[in-house]
Amino acid sequence: MRELTLRPTDYYQLDELLDDDARLVRDTVRRFVDREVIPHIGGWWLRGEFPRHLPAALGELGVLGANLPVEYGAAGVNNVTYGLILQELERGDSGLRSFASVQGALVMYPIHAFGSEAQKRHWLPRLARGDAVGCFGLTEPGAGSDPGAMQTRARRRGGGWELTGTKMWITNGSLADVAVVWAKDDEGEIRGFLVERGTPGFVAHEITTKASMRASDTSELVLEGVRVDDDARLPEANGLRAPLSCLTQARYGIAWGAVGAAAACFEEALAYAGARTAFGRPIAARQLIQARLVDMLTELTKGQLLAFRLGQLKDAGRMRYTHVSLAKRNNVRMALEVARAARTILGAYGVTLEYHAMRHAANLESVDTYEGTHDIHTLVVGRDLTGLDAFQ
Amino acid sequence: MDVVVCLKQVVDPELPARDFAIDPRSRRQAREGRTLVISTYDEHALEVALRLKEQTGGKVTTLAVGPQAALGEAVRKALAMGADEALVVDEPRAPEWLGAEVAPVLAAAIRRIGPVDLVLAGCESADWVERVVAPLLAEALGAACVTFAARVEPADGGVLVRRMADDGVHHVAARLPAVVSVASDDANKPRLPKVKDIVAARRKPVTVVATADLEVDPAWRLPAPEVRGVTVPPRTGTCEMLGGEPAEQVEALVRRLRDLKLL
Repeated sequence: MRELTLRPTDYYQLDELLDDDARLVRDTVRRFVDREVIPHIGGWWLRGEFPRHLPAALGELGVLGANLPVEYGAAGVNNVTYGLILQELERGDSGLRSFASVQGALVMYPIHAFGSEAQKRHWLPRLARGDAVGCFGLTEPGAGSDPGAMQTRARRRGGGWELTGTKMWITNGSLADVAVVWAKDDEGEIRGFLVERGTPGFVAHEITTKASMRASDTSELVLEGVRVDDDARLPEANGLRAPLSCLTQARYGIAWGAVGAAAACFEEALAYAGARTAFGRPIAARQLIQARLVDMLTELTKGQLLAFRLGQLKDAGRMRYTHVSLAKRNNVRMALEVARAARTILGAYGVTLEYHAMRHAANLESVDTYEGTHDIHTLVVGRDLTGLDAFQ
Repeated sequence: MDVVVCLKQVVDPELPARDFAIDPRSRRQAREGRTLVISTYDEHALEVALRLKEQTGGKVTTLAVGPQAALGEAVRKALAMGADEALVVDEPRAPEWLGAEVAPVLAAAIRRIGPVDLVLAGCESADWVERVVAPLLAEALGAACVTFAARVEPADGGVLVRRMADDGVHHVAARLPAVVSVASDDANKPRLPKVKDIVAARRKPVTVVATADLEVDPAWRLPAPEVRGVTVPPRTGTCEMLGGEPAEQVEALVRRLRDLKLL
């Protein structure tokens, strides 16, 4: 019998390695994104609009913080399945995946890992349902790659705390009902606080001049003498390791998400190259186009294998943060290059928002920078490899 | 209302066209290596069942006949969408069966499930499009039959069915038990299973029986049509360019479509 066509986005037949749950969840999220996101995303992006109905819809679907335990309202799926969810969300748009990553890995995860039982019971079910939105305030105007240099301060005031400082580039910042804010206490120890929207002295300013991630809310958070009780502090979070461990969770999702963005661009370019004729033949018949398509497929396939293995390691409890750095660094740069190549193949059409490659490419410029820049992850893996620390 | 939904597993209609093939021995669509999915209208039938359950309570049981190993994913999806339990008739020959062969087995399986109020199935399968299973099943079960239902609402001791027909919409009342075949409609667009329900579906009861374990009444067995040959129509396409200004092009297009009896 003639061999069946290999699906271009599953060239190495990774589907065979997924269990029924993972495939069914992946296909469900894919269908959701096809129905609810892709027909509208160009318009949202153009208008710089985060679709505010989506948190509840994603919560209803059960994808928010889906790898956290069922007892707090999450879905309790394994990490490969969770990765596939983020892959499918970013196939729609990096902004959508960013929303889900922040909600799950940067808000639900720290509450679960470092929060009190009361904080978990109060926030996790609401955040899982999408009834509440969270954001994560670590980066500051003058402290990005070097979060230990943060200026935000937490001073003891009576039985509680007073928070003062500015956080920058905060995804979901203006939408958030609760912000996980990291600040240095009087002893220089980094601590995490749950600051609710409307707390006096706490305001968010949306950043509206972005040429990237336009369907995502990115904001500045300003804290001026914000008073919170001690029960707003994450009791188990002490030191920089706490926020960094959250970032490891988020970067894990990014390594998967980037595969989704790359797959969307590759599929679009492949379809276009087969349909567009020049000089009497489809451009896909031309060697230069084929070379581009094969390079894209090769890098996409490598990225898929990397994400899948990373997921296996995480599920086995053997994933290291350096594994995550390598995968985030590779897969995001891979996706960015695939998106650019797709844009090239699409010619002039590629610069419009009727097609997706340009939007993905613009978004991925942010993804390449946030959650540890490409360069920072180079140095993280370099330090692990050589034992020599380039940060010092 | 206790509802049974018949689910057929078919080769994914979204299969790349070049992977569509006819097995020359069985004269059936080749399945090996292809993705299998729940037949399109059967998913709509399941959605109708789940909505009825939400309105009236009761239980939704899915019923599928086919090779057990292949059916796992379809059954799992149905349970994740909200069905309460599943009965699988493990029958390796089923992928080659036509409606007349599968209907008596479905009838026997429904009898085994026990007294049910309503049996739902898609109005046609995505592969053979025979549209015979629901009427044959109703005959075998001695139940009322309504076909091509867009909507099914509970009514006093029965159901009210909005039925799609060539001459418009029929509103039909049927007593229970009834067999209703379901067409697609905005009101029965299949829901997406929730991630939590996909995980939880693993714990829902799935009963597997062999055809031999069922009491299939010989009287229900009908002669099935013999398929003499199946061919894939050659793909042909010609493109006719209509010249002139847009208004002239529209006129020319309408004329051509009328000539071709497409309007």
